[in-house]
Amino acid sequence: MSLNRSFFVPIDSPLHRLNPLTKLTFVFAMIISAFLSVPDMAPALAVLVLLTGFIGKVQRQYRTVLLKLILPAILFMFVMQSVFLPGGETILIQVGRFDVARENVRAAFLTVSRVFVMVSSFAILLLTTHPSKLMADLTRRGLPPQLAYVIISTLQILPQMQAKAQTILSAQRSRGLDTESTFLKRVRAIVPLVGPLVFGSLVEVEERAIAIEARGFTSPRAKTFLYEVPDTRADRLIRWTLVIFTLLSLAARIWLS
Amino acid sequence: MRIEIKDLHFTYPSGVQALRGISLTIESGEQVAIIGQNGAGKTTLARHLNGLLQPTSGEVRIGYWDTRRYSTAKLAARVGYVFQNPDEQLFSRDVHMEVAFGPKNLGYPKERVEALVSEALEMTDLLQKRETNPYDLSPTWRKMVAIASVIAMDTPIVIFDEPTTGQDAATIERIANVIRVLRERGKTILTITHDMDFCAENFERVIVMSQGQVLLDGKANDVLGQEEILATTYVEPPQLTRLGKRLGFKETVRNEEEFLTALQKRWRI
Repeated sequence: MSLNRSFFVPIDSPLHRLNPLTKLTFVFAMIISAFLSVPDMAPALAVLVLLTGFIGKVQRQYRTVLLKLILPAILFMFVMQSVFLPGGETILIQVGRFDVARENVRAAFLTVSRVFVMVSSFAILLLTTHPSKLMADLTRRGLPPQLAYVIISTLQILPQMQAKAQTILSAQRSRGLDTESTFLKRVRAIVPLVGPLVFGSLVEVEERAIAIEARGFTSPRAKTFLYEVPDTRADRLIRWTLVIFTLLSLAARIWLS
Repeated sequence: MRIEIKDLHFTYPSGVQALRGISLTIESGEQVAIIGQNGAGKTTLARHLNGLLQPTSGEVRIGYWDTRRYSTAKLAARVGYVFQNPDEQLFSRDVHMEVAFGPKNLGYPKERVEALVSEALEMTDLLQKRETNPYDLSPTWRKMVAIASVIAMDTPIVIFDEPTTGQDAATIERIANVIRVLRERGKTILTITHDMDFCAENFERVIVMSQGQVLLDGKANDVLGQEEILATTYVEPPQLTRLGKRLGFKETVRNEEEFLTALQKRWRI
């Protein structure tokens, strides 16, 4: 009954072997370029990010994230922006009282590409990087452990709360709580479900704080690391390439527009 | 109310085969303890009884209701289930409201809800604490609130999932008393437990599970006497039972009374 408590997919692939910082650099290089460079860059980067998923051998899991999380959100954004953005000269079609202009469809497409790059690249990072390794590497490079803790617990909290919510749902349904019939009954069912979830999570946070403190979390001494995270020459090369790429894409924005 | 389980198989989505062919009948008014090592499938089995889990194959009937045809909310009128961790169900401002939640859900008239709540609070020694916020109580008392909130539903079947874990002697005695009262009222009781003394002292029938199957099922004395078979699922008979064995008693003893009787019998010879 092992529940997967994070996005990480434990297999071996070139992306899995990369140093976490390299992947993090990739994420930020993609995001910064997509949002701040010349607008046409975003769709190209979206394709690049999409292809990266294949190097990571996480296509199956990536597709799940794509279909369930990213696609519905960006489709909604695309439609809303296309229809409701003001202005625009070249009318393509009319939806009721609203005009869909070519300029707006283009703007919507760019926005959607940017969001796609952002969410997708993060998804690839999380799918191919064990959270502990990511944090161990960043802490070794000087990230304050407190901050690392905040990040890592955020990554873990959603799947954990999901599991907890499931148990609470079972417990309340066993007490005759109707969560399946009319809308009104479902709305009324929220309090008995959210109450224990919020309270339980608060208690958990406190207990965890005590537990890690008992193991010397704030001890001022230099700490050793459980994980040896390799950082190869290839890693450094990729990182510098990404940094230069980002700088160039920013320069393109300044000079070309 | 009779529980009938026929060739029940269950596989979790992760691929773990938790139950592999369980067939059981529990008659109305029986008190049954389910024991066995961690991961033997005890909780998985119990969760089939009120429809929280649906059989992969086979069937579960609660007094002629096939659990596949009724929602958990409906089955709640027949099967009360006390979860292991009370914090996963307590949400109300005070103990009284919390305990009234179940019976209200079942649609009982107001007077009956009030009567059932008072009765449940009395059985669990919570009358003095009815105005308290459950979260201001100690974990021990929160457990009692969780128990009261299920008893108040007045279901013919009550399931307890490890009720005595982490509780002191006074609380265990209180829980044993609740079970005694429920027995007198003719309720069917199923308890999952690792507490062998609690099992030996309060239950007439014991079911031992191992790797998703029923290993032993029978009268408490017969089951607890089979030390070797119990050992295969990492269950140790209660201390007195083992001592009785070492002393060479012919019959299996499981509580002080039986032990003393057997001892006197030997001295007289």
